[in-house]
Amino acid sequence: MSNLVLAATEGNVVDLGKAIALALGIGLGSLGAGIGIGNIFGSMIQSVARQPELRGELTGIMWLGFALTEAVVFYGLIGGLLAFVLV
Amino acid sequence: MKLLLLNALTLASEAPAGEEPKFDPSHEFELPAWVSIHIGPLDMSINKAVVYLWLGSLLTMAIGILLMRVRLRVTPDRRQTIGEQIYDIAQTQVAEQGLPTKAIGRWFPYVASLMLFIWTINMLGFIPLPITGERFELFGIDLPVWGIYAATSSISVTLALALMTWVFTHIEGVRANGPVGYFKSWIPEVPKAMLPMLVPLEILGQFMRLVSLSVRLFANMLAGHMLILTFIGLIFVLESVFLAVVAVPAATAFYLFEVVIVVSIQAFIFAALSAIYIGSAIEPDH
Repeated sequence: MSNLVLAATEGNVVDLGKAIALALGIGLGSLGAGIGIGNIFGSMIQSVARQPELRGELTGIMWLGFALTEAVVFYGLIGGLLAFVLV
Repeated sequence: MKLLLLNALTLASEAPAGEEPKFDPSHEFELPAWVSIHIGPLDMSINKAVVYLWLGSLLTMAIGILLMRVRLRVTPDRRQTIGEQIYDIAQTQVAEQGLPTKAIGRWFPYVASLMLFIWTINMLGFIPLPITGERFELFGIDLPVWGIYAATSSISVTLALALMTWVFTHIEGVRANGPVGYFKSWIPEVPKAMLPMLVPLEILGQFMRLVSLSVRLFANMLAGHMLILTFIGLIFVLESVFLAVVAVPAATAFYLFEVVIVVSIQAFIFAALSAIYIGSAIEPDH
């Protein structure tokens, strides 16, 4: 991580490029996960509005879906960090 | 409010270490050995993560015994109600969702304690504790540095937990269906020509479960701590006190988000997925 800061302040072009690539990767990853999470909660609101009595059963499934979707960003993050450190 | 102050205080207490060249958030996740133990090629050294895990297991046992074992009455008091709610979530949301009815008796204790244990370690990670292994001087008194660190933000810990679930999955699968029946259930029902392509994918998928289960928890906790530390760290990296106006509220917001949502969700997810994996190995057709 200190490389990120160094790259930004000391003009190391290679590190700067890696930093931009890492940020872009995470940014695009969160774009997809954001859409997915929005979808999950949107559908949840719709289902509860239609059938409020199913709320309890749906909540567990919703959080499961939320965590599975959210994890996608972190795969991107870990992949990015690995590439950043190893390359 | 108290937590907020503590949080700010914890990280601000690193300010006297201004002699260090640069503040680096990833430095918080290094694990120097405190008590070096090497058995052959195995590195069994005691470090920060190990101490947090000890503390976590003790607390988990304490929570379980105090909330669910001691002084139980027909009309529950406040303490017993909390215990019953935790048990209820573990029973209805985790075990019954994933495990087939006949396996609940055997595997409920595992998934329930997994949930409680991971929740406790995650929660410990957001409470400032004086076990960072660093010291600082305040008015000539030698004090330990208070810091936040979660054992689950180390890949070794989460991989060990995931490996347990993974091994149990296959043992249960073989035990319930026999070795032939279980490995046959990996072969999907498609035309024969497709099989050479799909069976390797299926086997790869089994290993991907291991990766996704461990990396999900690890990356969530790592990213959560990193976000908070980076926001506070901006004050020291850019050496401007006025940044605190932005950095402290932002860090507090992320702190609350992690404590309220992420900690519980990740514990729940890990237990629920463990239950689903074990359940799907016992009854492959589902």
